Amino acid sequence: MGFGIFITKRLGQGVLVLLGVSAIVFFSLFLTGDPTTLMVSPDATAAEIQQFRHAMGFDDPLWLQYARFLWGLVQGDLGNSLRFHQPAMALVLARLPATAILASAALAWSTAAGFVFGVIGAVWRGSRIDLFVRLAALSGQAVPVFWLGLLLIIVFALRLRWLPTGGMGGIEHLILPAVALGAYYMSAVTRLVRASLIEALAQDYVRTARSKGLSEWRVVMRHALRNALIPVVTVQGMYFAALLGGALITEIIFAWPGIGRLAVQAIENRDFPLVQAVVLFVAFVFVVANLIVDVTYGLLNPRIQL
Amino acid sequence: MSLAGRWTKAADLQLGGGLLVLVLAIGLVGPVVWPLDPLAGHLADTFQPPLSAVKGVLHPLGTDQLGRDLLARIIEGVRISLSIVLVAGAISAIVGTATGVIAGYLGGWVDTVLMRLADIQLAIPFILLILLVVAVVGPSFTNLILVLGITGWAIYARVARARTLEVRELEYIEAARALALPTPRILAFHVLPNILVPQIVLLTLDLPRLIVLEASIGFLGLGIQPPTPTLGNLIGEGRSYILLADWLILYPGLVIAALVIAFNLIGDWLVKMTETRLD
Repeated sequence: MGFGIFITKRLGQGVLVLLGVSAIVFFSLFLTGDPTTLMVSPDATAAEIQQFRHAMGFDDPLWLQYARFLWGLVQGDLGNSLRFHQPAMALVLARLPATAILASAALAWSTAAGFVFGVIGAVWRGSRIDLFVRLAALSGQAVPVFWLGLLLIIVFALRLRWLPTGGMGGIEHLILPAVALGAYYMSAVTRLVRASLIEALAQDYVRTARSKGLSEWRVVMRHALRNALIPVVTVQGMYFAALLGGALITEIIFAWPGIGRLAVQAIENRDFPLVQAVVLFVAFVFVVANLIVDVTYGLLNPRIQL
Repeated sequence: MSLAGRWTKAADLQLGGGLLVLVLAIGLVGPVVWPLDPLAGHLADTFQPPLSAVKGVLHPLGTDQLGRDLLARIIEGVRISLSIVLVAGAISAIVGTATGVIAGYLGGWVDTVLMRLADIQLAIPFILLILLVVAVVGPSFTNLILVLGITGWAIYARVARARTLEVRELEYIEAARALALPTPRILAFHVLPNILVPQIVLLTLDLPRLIVLEASIGFLGLGIQPPTPTLGNLIGEGRSYILLADWLILYPGLVIAALVIAFNLIGDWLVKMTETRLD
């Protein structure tokens, strides 16, 4: 199968996924029957409720409402936030830079650290330092991001007073949230790199490279690691979802003004158009990220039958 | 022999099993040996630090903002959180395995549709969707179990489908088909028993995800509502008193971490023992 066909197929799948998400997001509001009751305040009069229902189009047939929702979606219009009275998509996009900064900082340090730990663990497999690497990876995956975040605040902000407890500002505001958010990911990368490098080091081509008299450093870096990268890249897309979910909670803990905080506030305020916008936007980012992973995967290993 | 050299597969099981037994004991035996009421406290006894005794009553883990005993609340929280997670995990495994077996055995358009649904399921950031649904239907015990259970089926379906594709071609299945056994019967009595082991291993490895997810929902205040304690909402409540009483955050989190480590270690051990491939 050609690369072009592969990409087209994946694009089609991505569109399908987004369509499915849009259906779930749309119809979940009707789980209790009438979305109007979810959105108006409890002390609204019957006339007010009726007026709101009509204004939102909830008195139209369901298929018509969904069609309208989809048509708006194609144009990037997901209705207005009930609370802020602004287009929901614009509110989400306004919060995007903050989340992007946090997520990339977390992704950057955790990938780098995960690689270093993973390589160390694989090369000195079974040694004391490998045990340390394994324990670090295990505990990084075990602590929930909200608990780690709070512990970091207790130690570094409240006790030691080295760093601020939250908010956005200089680089010092970024350190704690990025550490908390990246910990899980760092563990995942460590485990993956370690496992797949151990497997690669046992292959014949590594033995050949060693028998040619290449330095161990060169054998690991140029021959084994390159092949060990493939499984690591494949699962990156899956962990990206976990990273986004973690960002949501990290933002709450550190009062970081990103999309996650917006989402939770929107849910607390029962601002459902805004919630829908956030879910769809995040699903969109996720689909695009997975597409990029697929392409990278193909480029890294041309032998793989796409 | 070095310390690391002795860290064998058996050690995975021993540490994991030990932690699991410990937490299960807290939940199961806890209420008997520690009979303090998790919901009742004295306002005069608020924020007692761990190991303090008030009027002859010892509070090993301290008290909270209403003077309730933290150990009693953690015991109750373990019971509630674990019940939700275990039932939800069972639902995910059953729904997902059934879907995967049907997709893999029947193939064709059924397979295509079900697997595309799994893709969609995996493409949605779970937590947001779950928060949305819980906000709409309300955070009851049953609703939480259903939402967590139903949203977790996709990975079970993928693994079950892959194994079914292999099993389907084996001779004894062919023999069953040649005997004209009804398809549901072939699936239930001939295919299912042969793919059960990987599904159980998968469940063990999936439980940590559910534990953290349930705790996160509780932490955000969108799960089971206080005063009923869960491991997540205990930390969520404690967060407001982070300056006064950090033990309210510390201990429930330790229990969550112990549970996650336990299931991860046992799951890793099971993978090696049963030589399961989960790709």
